[in-house]
Amino acid sequence: MVKVFVNGKEIDVDVESTLLNAIVKAGYEVPTLCYLKGIFNEATCRVCIVEISSGRLVPACAYPVSEGLKVFTDSERVLKYRRAIIELILASHKIKCQSCSMKGGYCQLLKLSKDYGVEGIPVCSECKLYGSECLLARGIPCLGPITIAGCNAVCTNEYSQCIGCRGPVSRYDVLKEGVELYVKYGIDVNEVLRLAELFWSSLPIIDTLRGLLRESKSGGKA
Amino acid sequence: MSVVSDVDTVISNILNRYNSRQYLMRILQEVQSVYGYLPREALEKLSSIMKIPLSDIINVATFYHQYKLEPPGHYVFLVCMGTACHLKGNQDNYNVLRDALGIKEGTTTSPDGLVSVEKARCFGCCSLAPVIMVVSRDGSERYLHGYVNIQEARKLAFKYRGLASSKKKSGG
Amino acid sequence: MDKCCSRCWHTPEYPCKHYIRCRTEGPLCHDSPECRAKRERRINEIKYGRYGLKIKVPIASCTLAAGAKEVYNAVVKEVNSSGLNIDVGITGCIGLCHIDPWLEISGKDLPSVIYANVKPEEVPKIIKEYLSKDLSRAFAIRSRGSTPPSKVPLLEELPSWSNQVRFVSRNCGVVNPESIEEYVAFGGFKGLEKALNTTPKAVIETVKRSGLRGRGGAGFPTWIKWDIAQSQVSDVKYFIVNADEGDPGAFMNRLLAEADPYRVVEGMIIGAYAIGASKGYIFVRAEKPLMAERLSKAVEEARKYGLLGRNILGSGFNFDIEVILSAGAFVCGEETALIAAIEGRTRPRQRPPYPATKGLWGKPTVINNVETVAHVATIFQVSVDEFVRYGTEKSKGTKMFCVTGSVRRTGAYEVPIGITLKKLVYDLAGGPPEGRNVKAVQVGGPSGGCVPSDMLDTPVDYETLQSAGAIMGSGGVVVIDDKSCMVDVAKFFTSFTLAESCGKCFPCRIGMKILYDILNNITEGRGSEEDLEVLTELSDAIVGSSLCALGGTAPNPVKSTLRYFRDEYIAHIRDKRCPAGVCARLVEYWIDPTKCVGCGLCARVCPANAISGERGKPYAIDRSRCIKCSQCFITCPQGAVTKR
Repeated sequence: MVKVFVNGKEIDVDVESTLLNAIVKAGYEVPTLCYLKGIFNEATCRVCIVEISSGRLVPACAYPVSEGLKVFTDSERVLKYRRAIIELILASHKIKCQSCSMKGGYCQLLKLSKDYGVEGIPVCSECKLYGSECLLARGIPCLGPITIAGCNAVCTNEYSQCIGCRGPVSRYDVLKEGVELYVKYGIDVNEVLRLAELFWSSLPIIDTLRGLLRESKSGGKA
Repeated sequence: MSVVSDVDTVISNILNRYNSRQYLMRILQEVQSVYGYLPREALEKLSSIMKIPLSDIINVATFYHQYKLEPPGHYVFLVCMGTACHLKGNQDNYNVLRDALGIKEGTTTSPDGLVSVEKARCFGCCSLAPVIMVVSRDGSERYLHGYVNIQEARKLAFKYRGLASSKKKSGG
Repeated sequence: MDKCCSRCWHTPEYPCKHYIRCRTEGPLCHDSPECRAKRERRINEIKYGRYGLKIKVPIASCTLAAGAKEVYNAVVKEVNSSGLNIDVGITGCIGLCHIDPWLEISGKDLPSVIYANVKPEEVPKIIKEYLSKDLSRAFAIRSRGSTPPSKVPLLEELPSWSNQVRFVSRNCGVVNPESIEEYVAFGGFKGLEKALNTTPKAVIETVKRSGLRGRGGAGFPTWIKWDIAQSQVSDVKYFIVNADEGDPGAFMNRLLAEADPYRVVEGMIIGAYAIGASKGYIFVRAEKPLMAERLSKAVEEARKYGLLGRNILGSGFNFDIEVILSAGAFVCGEETALIAAIEGRTRPRQRPPYPATKGLWGKPTVINNVETVAHVATIFQVSVDEFVRYGTEKSKGTKMFCVTGSVRRTGAYEVPIGITLKKLVYDLAGGPPEGRNVKAVQVGGPSGGCVPSDMLDTPVDYETLQSAGAIMGSGGVVVIDDKSCMVDVAKFFTSFTLAESCGKCFPCRIGMKILYDILNNITEGRGSEEDLEVLTELSDAIVGSSLCALGGTAPNPVKSTLRYFRDEYIAHIRDKRCPAGVCARLVEYWIDPTKCVGCGLCARVCPANAISGERGKPYAIDRSRCIKCSQCFITCPQGAVTKR
């Protein structure tokens, strides 16, 4: 048995354990994607990285314990890098993935995206992939920049404005960027608000959106 | 040009000397030294005799740059992509070679199959940058050209195409 | 290497412990003035030729490319046809690439003279002048013998030589790399003899005292790796020498292995003895075939004289070496990937366990760089004190650096660690050519970073370079001048590591692609200011979370160019301009009227119809229509289209 410290908490573990075993035993959690007990522990996804006392970041699923080792599962660097890795994975994934309802609504990747605030890619990204001309550029109000993607941009591909039926993006920074686009193309903010209230009037995000649009109208922080 | 001679004999000769998985790299190198590339038939034969999944062999064959899966031209231009060579303009030489030989996007060999142009890792002759090495398909000839500018590159393209053409005519 | 008389009983099957020392100091087992004289005669023959006069021509990859074979043939022809009593031999690269091809004439009590940039037709004149004591054409004199001083400088007076400490490269350009006799005559294998006379642990202790750090890049203390492997209990252990040298712009391993391969073999045997390995591999880059040939020959010869095989020099130690070719993958510089290649697999794996405990086929394995084992051999041949004289507190000894790029004297220079970059670039390599200025110095290849020209007083050692944003790496130093674009340099290195990424882990596989795409956009005028933030954050994430050191160092060029040359990035993004005039989409194309012959080819291939002119008169590009596709630049047979 060896003694290790997980987030400051002392715990005794088997000498053959990995950091992941120790972390779980100590009652903490570390996300994993590629790890499958007894079958795959080659540490290729790097999502389970944790910080050890030397400052190095190591994968918890494949790193052995040693006497006196200190592990930190949620240090600033760990969280930042984990988020970056999830962003990278999503960047090479089908955008549709982010609102998949299969797998019983449970997908480890989607859960991680939400936990780390990486979800919420707007329809704009999907629309660009199809190369359609941007409706905003023609002065037509379109909710694409602030609606969550996953529909293959069916409406905008047919030159019909996006009316936000899939729901708004939940991330503030994405909302803000969307509002900036409206300002850039000189879209009437009232039009945008009218469209948004169609499906989103009962959602809390509508107030945030109203606030942002109002600011932009008065030449504010947008 | 898809008839590959004597795959059975070639493979069994090689496997007489190296016959286990651990020698896979050497086996592939030997196959390539015979044909100038790794013919699909040879890989399939290896897979079935050595009882290694074909996907495994192709994993190794496509991972390492040296292995070619398509027949190269009679002469192959290896354009050094080292730092010194890049700074002295070898990227331009590479483009000029491809243009002069009519090599299309996505392939490395000229449409007449005579000459190939490939990017190579550093040869270690940085003092002669930019460096282009030309090798014959069977590896027996090796010519290293240094201080190549774009006019020189164009001349080399035509020179070796001519040589390749005569080689082809004489059944080389 | 042969017996002096029938009293010598050494054979590989029944080896004599003192065989090596006997070659130069013997005979040791019996006293005989005839045998001693015979031995001295043989050593003189090796050093000065059969007639006391010898011409050496370097035959190495770089000299061959410069035309050394033709020079060699010319020398042989001249010597044969004139009936002169001169021995003609080959030697390895001396490291001063700017004088290739060179030759050296030397003899007993005669000056040893080097002639630079020799053309085959000059050979008869050179020989004639040397024989009539006219040395005016010479480049430098290695040793004067008994000749009076002349206008020709001594080699040791040249700044490119006097600043060097030729510790591990002492034989380069001196001995015949294919001759084991010459190696032994110049002190070779003495180190092995010394090592085999002590215990493996004592060998490790010596390496520890020397403070030798791995010369392959990481700078890990060599003795620690050896110690861990030595303490493992296993039926078989392996010692591997990494001669892959994947860094573009680095050729010191090739130089050493082609010029002095026996040194590499000797160091390997010492290392194998220290850890208890029974089998060794030298993993050689396929693109450097001469290196593989020379090393193979050295291994064969060593085996012939009982220096490899069973019961080496009567010590009871068994060890043999196999030279194998790599198949081209930069990632094989990473230990676990190299092991995978030898095993017929691909890709590195997570460490721990480290190869020293579980390596090749699960057995304890030590992997060392060519230069590292060459240092080991030399330390044992000479002494630890001779090694620790040089270097800094934390990094003892010397290192070979290859200085290339925009310098007058490209070459491989061995200098004490801790020397400043300024000295390396200006004193040794002669600084940039006329009309160019140094903008930055890239140290460490694609895993390293660039040091701007105002920071050239940075000493070259592992720790200082790291804090400056670069790494020592394998010792490749590329001098970048003001005609190069730093964003393009970052893009170049990124495209290299992207292509070489093994693809196993997310950060490197996807992250490097995104870094490249962003850099590419910037070089084509599609960048935005947010991109710089993304580049920085993504680089940090890739460095911190990658599986192996390839990903762990790949973003370094991006990070260091952003750190020191942010203004160039801004110019590309804000002004859509490439200050250095390099990035194809951000420069202006124009036709030089002095070179244009008016063939009209450019106008025909221009997709934008932007070029016009009359046959026979210089053509001109209408810049308002030019889309900067560079097709005219590529097509012009006269090279008359220029970028600025």
